Amino acid sequence: MKAFTALAATELRLLFRDPASLFFMMAFPLMLLVLKRGDSGAVPGYVAMIVAIGGMGALPGIVASYRERKVLKRLAATPISPVLLLGAQLVAQVAAGLAGSVLLVVAAITVFGAEAPGNVLMLAVAFLLCSVMVCSLGFVIAAVVRNTRGASLIGMLVMFPMIFLAGAAVPRTALPDSLRRIGDFLPLTPGVEALGDAWSGTAAVFPLLILAGIIVAATAVAAALFRWE
Amino acid sequence: MEAIEVTDLRKTYGSTRAVDGVTFTVRAGETFGLVGHNGAGKTTTVECLIGLKRPDAGTVRVLGEDPARRRQALAQRIGAQLQESSLPERIKVAEALRMFGTFYRKGADWRQVMERWSLQPLARKAFGDLSGGQKQRLMLALALVGDPEVVVLDELTTGLDPIARRETWRLVGDLKAVGTTVVLVSHYFDETEALCDRVAVFARGRVVAMGTPDDIVARTGTASLEEAYFALEGADR
Ligand SMILES: Nc1ncnc2c1ncn2[C@@H]1O[C@H](COP(=O)(O)OP(=O)(O)OP(=O)(O)O)[C@@H](O)[C@H]1O
Ligand SMILES: [Mg+2]
Repeated sequence: MKAFTALAATELRLLFRDPASLFFMMAFPLMLLVLKRGDSGAVPGYVAMIVAIGGMGALPGIVASYRERKVLKRLAATPISPVLLLGAQLVAQVAAGLAGSVLLVVAAITVFGAEAPGNVLMLAVAFLLCSVMVCSLGFVIAAVVRNTRGASLIGMLVMFPMIFLAGAAVPRTALPDSLRRIGDFLPLTPGVEALGDAWSGTAAVFPLLILAGIIVAATAVAAALFRWE
Repeated sequence: MEAIEVTDLRKTYGSTRAVDGVTFTVRAGETFGLVGHNGAGKTTTVECLIGLKRPDAGTVRVLGEDPARRRQALAQRIGAQLQESSLPERIKVAEALRMFGTFYRKGADWRQVMERWSLQPLARKAFGDLSGGQKQRLMLALALVGDPEVVVLDELTTGLDPIARRETWRLVGDLKAVGTTVVLVSHYFDETEALCDRVAVFARGRVVAMGTPDDIVARTGTASLEEAYFALEGADR
């Protein structure tokens, strides 16, 4: 436990030392909120966007580089399992996403006078499931794509269309019909829905169940396909 | 007592017989050297000792246990410097030492290790900003934060400047003085002669000579370990 705490704390510090992660998970969503003149309806979507940027935009490249640069191998020569490093990366991504999201929500409420979230407990559950879900997809990408550049690139290529089509960056009602239908099949869509429902106070359980199902399936796939070397 | 026993170890990659029937033992407290040409099977052998590779055949016992089955338990007692490995680019030297310290139940004081390896001037430097030799020194220090009984050093001083090399010799000598068993892979004969109680000369996946450096020199009728090595290599080719 002591080892895992140290690993997770270190991974979180490393994320905060990365200017790209810092910008896209903290400053960028705030800038979008300002551009939207503080429209609080956009906040749950932006929260989904923040975690997607971390879990799919950053995580695959980080994990692939740990494998390629033999960081995982070095850990395998210590008493801890390299699986713990992957767990620590997950915890760090969730924590960084939480920091960015809290910053965004606090700014929306204090600066733009948005109403406080309707159901804080459900919002927390939705946040946790959504952020673990995008990380599990990130692990699948890192498992399938061998090298660092490839994993980063594929992560971005999956993440960008998804945040638009799932209604995270723009509301799905603004999309043409055909594009909206694609969104029905994207794993981030139930994440945006769950966050939006909890934000407005009409908590629905169905999207949460879907998120949990995706986490289980993606983790199984990642575990089956992951190569340590 | 034997700290390490390797019997008829074999490991094949596709059609490459990387290790082709290697047998040796290392007594507790001994410093044992592995020398040999590139691709001779040294790294494969030491990676079997720390449980990173699973032998195709043969037995390996380290401190009485099988590393392939008991890797994590044994890792509490073995420190390793791998030929190729690294840390996250942005992790700082002190951070890495402190973090590795939490992996071990007993462990040495990471601050002392940092000091002993003259790393405190680099404490706040990121791994990615270190020079090659500085990285090497950190990886060596990380092999020792667990206060191990057996230390495996693959290419101990490759990339170190002459002063750092001598300094590293002295520190390996200190390990010997406290009874640590050391297995070291090296391409330098001066280093091997200065540090090792016994040496195994590897060629093409086999051990072609083994004994104290003096033994090997005497048996080949040469004047130095380096000449003995050339004689052995020539005879084997
Ligand atoms: N993962 C691998 N896949 C395929 N072949 C490998 C692998 N690892 C090692 N080999 C091969 O096994 C042989 C022994 O390699 P090894 O790394 O043990 O040599 P070495 O004695 O450590 O060499 P060096 O002095 O260059 O470090 C080489 O022919 C190498 O190409
Ligand atoms: Mg080698």
